[in-house]
Amino acid sequence: MRALTDEEMKTVLDKLANYMSDLKSLIAPLEDGDRYVFRLNHSRVYYVKLSIANLATSIARDSLLSLGTCLGKLTKTGKFRLHITALPIIAAGARHKIWVKENGAQPFLYGSNVVKAHVGRWSEDCPEHQGCVVYSMADIPLGFGVTARSTTEARRLDPTGVVCFRQADCGEYLRDEDTLFAG
Amino acid sequence: MAPTRTIKNKHSGGSKSKDSGGSKRSSSDGVTKRKPSSSSKSKTPIPSSQVKGRPNLKGLDKKKKKKVYSEKELGIPELNMVTPVGVTKPKGKKKGKVFVDDRESMNTILAIVQAEKEGQIESKLIKARQMEEIREARKVEADKKEAERKAKLEETKDSLRKKRKKPDTKKRDEDEEHFKAASASGSKAAKPKSKKRVSFAAPEE
Repeated sequence: MRALTDEEMKTVLDKLANYMSDLKSLIAPLEDGDRYVFRLNHSRVYYVKLSIANLATSIARDSLLSLGTCLGKLTKTGKFRLHITALPIIAAGARHKIWVKENGAQPFLYGSNVVKAHVGRWSEDCPEHQGCVVYSMADIPLGFGVTARSTTEARRLDPTGVVCFRQADCGEYLRDEDTLFAG
Repeated sequence: MAPTRTIKNKHSGGSKSKDSGGSKRSSSDGVTKRKPSSSSKSKTPIPSSQVKGRPNLKGLDKKKKKKVYSEKELGIPELNMVTPVGVTKPKGKKKGKVFVDDRESMNTILAIVQAEKEGQIESKLIKARQMEEIREARKVEADKKEAERKAKLEETKDSLRKKRKKPDTKKRDEDEEHFKAASASGSKAAKPKSKKRVSFAAPEE
């Protein structure tokens, strides 16, 4: 386990900035004087309290399965891939949001894209190909994706047209159970 | 093993199973006697017999010295290279990683990233708005053209109808003629037609 290099940190934050508007809250100091840090172990990036990260140094790297919240994986080509496990962190400071109706929640959780007919409402002024968090109508985050059309264009779209390309959804906790946390 | 074979071949092709242990036979041939003495000699013909088809060593050296092009010299597009773009490490930099763990450096990176992202999103939005305006203008123009075309079409249709109606009414509908006549008399729009007369002027003398 180690801290991220500046290059890695940049790629991670760059990806997070697609979905979040306020990044500074990520590393803001907590009330008890602690703060959150990013740690890398087996090419996975974890978002963890500094005190816990310090404790984790006493565990061998091979034995350490996970700590804090896994944000995603750094690929061998130097890119960063967000996992569904990062959803609570992203959802807390989401830049753009899409709420899906009840009839659209299940298809989304099974891994399909969001079509216009399933959208309950969406945040205004959202450009094309911009990260957005998908919520149910009860404001429960279901996953995240990338907008297929801008808000104005999406209004003109037919009901079967795709509005948001899925990136990750909560169904992955079951579907990718084997590979999500290790491997 | 190889050198013994070559010697055998040189002198006689008779004794084949020599290496297995037929020492007596070989001694009778007298070939092996020479072997230890001519071990140094035998080494020289080996390459010549083995490398019969090959060119001489000088040629090989020349081949090896062929210019090796670096990736930069070849001018291959970056995305098409063997090593992906993200993986290449800058040369001339110090080895080892520089970790970011203190809040200040993290904050600076964060600010840079956020500013970049904001700029990107803003430009995206502006571009989208401009495109929307252009699209609206085009739509209005297209609508206008369509309306014009329709009006023109209607006009031509009307003119054609009028043209067609005149001969039709005279020939087929007598009732309509009556009606027309009645309407004409009622409105006094047309005068009763008088027969046309043709008169010839008398030639002057």
